Amino acid sequence: MAVRCLAVAIGIAGASGPAGAYTASGDRNFPATLILPQLAPGDELYLNYNMLPLSGSGAGAVSRSTNFTVVYGKTITDNLGIFLEETYTGDAVGGAGTLWGWQNQTASIKYLAVNNLDHEFIMTLGLDRETGGTGAVRVGASSSGATTPQLYFGKGMGDLDIGYLRPFAITTFSAVTLADTAPRRDVVSNGFAVEYSIPYLQSKVRSFDLPAPIDHLTPITEVLFTSPVGRSYGSRSTALIAPGVSYAGEGWEFAVEAQLPATRATGNGIGVTAQLHIALDFFFSDTIGKPLFSNP
Amino acid sequence: MRQRRRDILIVGGAATLLPLLPLRAVGEETAGSVVGLLGQCAVDRGGQGHPMPLKLGDAVSITDTIEVPPDGKLKLRMRDGSVISLASGTRLTIAAYQIDASGQRQNAALSLAQGLLRAVVAPVDHPSTFEVSTAVGTAGVRSTDWFIAAQPGATQVGVLEGSVVLRSAATAHFVLIPARWGARVEAGLDPVPARTWSPAEFQAVISRTDVP
Repeated sequence: MAVRCLAVAIGIAGASGPAGAYTASGDRNFPATLILPQLAPGDELYLNYNMLPLSGSGAGAVSRSTNFTVVYGKTITDNLGIFLEETYTGDAVGGAGTLWGWQNQTASIKYLAVNNLDHEFIMTLGLDRETGGTGAVRVGASSSGATTPQLYFGKGMGDLDIGYLRPFAITTFSAVTLADTAPRRDVVSNGFAVEYSIPYLQSKVRSFDLPAPIDHLTPITEVLFTSPVGRSYGSRSTALIAPGVSYAGEGWEFAVEAQLPATRATGNGIGVTAQLHIALDFFFSDTIGKPLFSNP
Repeated sequence: MRQRRRDILIVGGAATLLPLLPLRAVGEETAGSVVGLLGQCAVDRGGQGHPMPLKLGDAVSITDTIEVPPDGKLKLRMRDGSVISLASGTRLTIAAYQIDASGQRQNAALSLAQGLLRAVVAPVDHPSTFEVSTAVGTAGVRSTDWFIAAQPGATQVGVLEGSVVLRSAATAHFVLIPARWGARVEAGLDPVPARTWSPAEFQAVISRTDVP
C-alpha cells in the first residue's frame, strides 16, 4: 500500500505537471521540462509519456506505472494563464494484468510575477487544483482533492562573465500539496532542472557551426523530491533524477529523459519519459495562440 | 529632298526627346516619398556625400541614404503602398525598390546602418521580396507589420503581423519569427531563438517610430 501511495505521490508531483517550461526571458529560452511543472503561463500543448518501474511485487502490488498526459495551456493576459490537464494511467498489477484509468482532473493558474529580460530571471506564482473523485481509484486516483500553491524560479547565466558556461540555466520548483481530506497526506515537493543550451551557445557565445541536430539540443537534468508532511499515512519521501535531452524545432520541442529513482520508495528500475511540446503561440499567433486580453 | 527632310525631322525629334529620357529613368528609380517628418531629416542622393534637407512630399529614390537626426523621425510611403517609419538616429539606404507596371512590388532591398525602422509592408499577389539588411543579418518578410533595429554588433526584429525570416550574415542560419514574437542576431553568431515579445517591448518600438 505504501508503494502504491508513493506511486501516486510521484504522479501528483510529477506526472500531474509534465508540461515543461517553454518560457523565454530576454534571449534565454527555458526549454520544456518533463518532470517539473512548467515555469510560466503560455499558449502551449504538451503530450507526455511517462513510464516508471515501481518496487511493488507480489499479488496486488503495482510493478510499473505508465502515464499518458495531455496538458493545454491558455493565456488570459500576457502574464496570467491557466492549464488544464488529463492523465491516463496504466498500472501493471501483480496477478491482475494492467489496470487502466484516468487520474483526477487538474487545473492550475499561473502568474508570471517577474520577468527580468536583462538578467534572464523569471519568478512565477502558481495554484494547482486537483478535483477529487474524478479519476479511477484502481489507478490510484484519490477520492480527496488537493490544492497546491507553487513557486517557480528560472535563471539563465547569460548575464554573467563566465564564457562557455553562459548557456547554463537553472529552474526551480517548490510546492505544498494540501489534501482536502484524510487519509490523503499533504506533500511538499521541491525540484530543479539544470540545462545547457546549445542554441544559446551558438547564438550568444560562439558559433561553432555545429551540425544538425546537435545545434538544436539542450542537455537537461531534472531532479524532483517529495516528502509527506504531517501525518504520512505510510508515505515516504521520494527522489527522482531525470537526465535527458531536448530538441528545439521551430515552434515545437521533443524531449526524452531517463528516470532514475534515487530511493527504493521512488521506483525500482530505470524509467523513461518523452514529451512533444507544441507552441500554439507560434503556429497560431493571431488566433488561439495569443492571450485573451492583450495589448497590442 | 523628301528623304533629307525626314532625316532632319527624325534627328530633330530625337534631339528634342533625348534630354527627357534621363528624367524618365530617374522617375523610374523613385522609390517613395516623405509623408511624415519631424526634425531636420536629410537625404544623401546616390551616396554623393552631400546630405540635403528633406521636406514633406519629397521623393526618395534608389541609392538614396536617409538620415534621421537624434531628435527627428521620418515616415515614407513607398510606391507599392508600403509605409516605412524611421526612428530617431536612423540611417537607411534604399538599395533597390522595383515596382511593376501595376504598381506592385517586385523586390525591395533596404540597408539599415543604424537605428530602428517600422515597416508596414503592402501585400502583393505574386512572389516578391522585401528585405532589410544590417551589418550582422538580413530580415526578409512577406506581408507584415514589423520592426528592425540595427544596434552596435546586433540586430533585433519584432513582428506585429505576418512573419519575418531573420538570417545571420555570418553563419547563414535563420529563424522564423511569427506575429507577436521577436528575435535578435549578434555579430558572427547564429540568430537567437525567437520568443514572444511583451507588450512593453512592442510599445517601446512603436513609440520610437510613431511619426505624428
